[in-house]
Amino acid sequence: MNRDSNKHTYLFAAIMVITIAFVLSFTSESLKELKADNIKKEKMQNVLSAVGINVSRDESEELYTQYIIEELSLTNNGDIDNAVSAFNINLALEIKKDINTQRFPLYVANVDNNKYYIIPLRGNGLWNAIWGYMALKEDINTIKGVSFGHKAETAGLGAEITQDWFTNSFVDEKILNDNGDFVGVYVTKTNNDPENTDKNDNEVDAISGATITGDGVSDMIKERLGKYLPYFNNLTNE
Amino acid sequence: MSKDKEKLFSKQNRALLTDPLDDNNPITVQVLGICSALAITVKLEPAVVMTLSVIFVMGSSNMIISILRNIIPNRIRIIVQLVVIASLVAIVDQFLKAYAYDVSKQLSIFIGLIITNCIVMGRLEAFAIGNGVWKSFLDGVGNALGYGWILIVVAFIRELFGSGELFGIPVIPQFIYDLGYTDNGLMLLSPMALIVVGVYIWIQRYFNRKLIEKD
Amino acid sequence: MEDLLNIFVKSIFIENMVFAYFLGMCSYLAVSKTVKTAVGLGGAVIFVLTITVPINYLLNEYLLKPGALKWIGPQYQDVNLDFLTFIMFIAVIASMVQLVEMIVEKFSPTLYSELGIFLPLIAVNCAILGGSLFMQTKDFINVFESSVYGLGSGIGFFLAILAIASIREKIRYSNIPEPLKGLGITFIICGLMAFGFMSFMGIKI
Repeated sequence: MNRDSNKHTYLFAAIMVITIAFVLSFTSESLKELKADNIKKEKMQNVLSAVGINVSRDESEELYTQYIIEELSLTNNGDIDNAVSAFNINLALEIKKDINTQRFPLYVANVDNNKYYIIPLRGNGLWNAIWGYMALKEDINTIKGVSFGHKAETAGLGAEITQDWFTNSFVDEKILNDNGDFVGVYVTKTNNDPENTDKNDNEVDAISGATITGDGVSDMIKERLGKYLPYFNNLTNE
Repeated sequence: MSKDKEKLFSKQNRALLTDPLDDNNPITVQVLGICSALAITVKLEPAVVMTLSVIFVMGSSNMIISILRNIIPNRIRIIVQLVVIASLVAIVDQFLKAYAYDVSKQLSIFIGLIITNCIVMGRLEAFAIGNGVWKSFLDGVGNALGYGWILIVVAFIRELFGSGELFGIPVIPQFIYDLGYTDNGLMLLSPMALIVVGVYIWIQRYFNRKLIEKD
Repeated sequence: MEDLLNIFVKSIFIENMVFAYFLGMCSYLAVSKTVKTAVGLGGAVIFVLTITVPINYLLNEYLLKPGALKWIGPQYQDVNLDFLTFIMFIAVIASMVQLVEMIVEKFSPTLYSELGIFLPLIAVNCAILGGSLFMQTKDFINVFESSVYGLGSGIGFFLAILAIASIREKIRYSNIPEPLKGLGITFIICGLMAFGFMSFMGIKI
């Protein structure tokens, strides 16, 4: 058969398309579980690291079930929506929804008989999205720990938000000011407290050269934590 | 008269593997494949994973096209090549997401860019479409190695001087830091990759005079 | 509207295809050393990017991404075709380039002969596929945002390529050491220009 004839061309193209479709679908399907598993375990890792438990991906599932005792999906009124799985909420898509249909995931952890509330965060850095988890102590004021992630911040500058030296500065900071009003935590250059000894100032030191990323972190904390106030107010009023 | 079957690793065949390392290096001589080479060379690990991926893609695509070279209709030749490359890359991508999740996040879109990596398509057109399977395979692997070599050299320099580590493991002894040495933050920024390659070309052409451009 | 302007300016200066991500340089560096050919390649890239990014956006929205097929019926909610991304994007790009080639040849033969080999070369230009792949990671909310992104990326590429070509033309007659001449010095200059573009980083619109 002449290889440049129409018949041959169509036949070749058809066989090629079918073979490739089959091979690709097969590969994708067989690896589907592994891929989803990686993503799930990574999320568990991130939630745990907010309360200071840093583990490898392999260990994360076991420790997650051990330490995380509750997963709640909250409405913007502070009610619990039992129909939505908190863990499966994709925050990137969820925050684009209308405020009344949005659900806010909350994780409750029990570590060494202490209760912690872990709140997922998402915001905008300099280049693209930034996210994180913040763990609050039972007083819903003092920060137990935070972990941050980013999509495309600059290495050595904005990307430093993932580093221990930055996340450690949040430990024991308060999210309420002296009057008991919610203010969050500000990443600021005018901190005047480089050793971070003042834990009541609602401030942490900014990263040199990463002002916009730092602002993004401050805004993210204020905006996201604010959504959980109705629920927390209900808790403290009980 | 019978022709002696060429040995698997005859001089000619070995040259297919070694030429691209220096004389015919895809990046510094053929000037192909620069794109993906630069942004991922901040650390050694992604550079190595990228090299292995490219070796797989180029070896396989060269082989496949060589096997099919007599039945591919001329009219759709380029499209067939593109589709073969794209499928192989898609397979690599799926495997990375399953078995090397962390690195796949670092490499992100650059795995996809292997498709448009001029080297891959370039070798198909220049070699595989007209040569036997084994030779094509060697050519593909050889060029991928040449490409990978540059990637690894650049990543080595950038990670070593930029963060004092190799493969994430600190290698510069503490006393050197105490003497006042600090990591060169500039190396972490992507433009440095271009400059390092530029210097590499300078050095390469200094030693290999025949590569100097005659104007 | 403000968002669109933001995306536009960001894609030209801050996320410049050539200087921030080093895409699209292969074909350019290897083939041309003059401003004239740079303009030709740059113009063609603007055109192709502006067309292919929105088309691929629509493909991604309604066919490829997880849950995209729910417009057919709710039972398709879980279908995830993103493993077909590379093939579909490349197919769209190759077809668009072919189409553009045919249209240009028909309506302006002079332009066609001036563009010469650049048009087919664009189909495998990293910047074109890169534009679509980046678009996929950016979560644009409608097709206008993605078109603006495509246009901006193309213009950014054009400016970058033009700048490098002008400099290359000028340094042809400079006193550069032999081994550094040509490719070597070009790489170093590109690196320095990329540093320059990093200064756009902190701009907030």
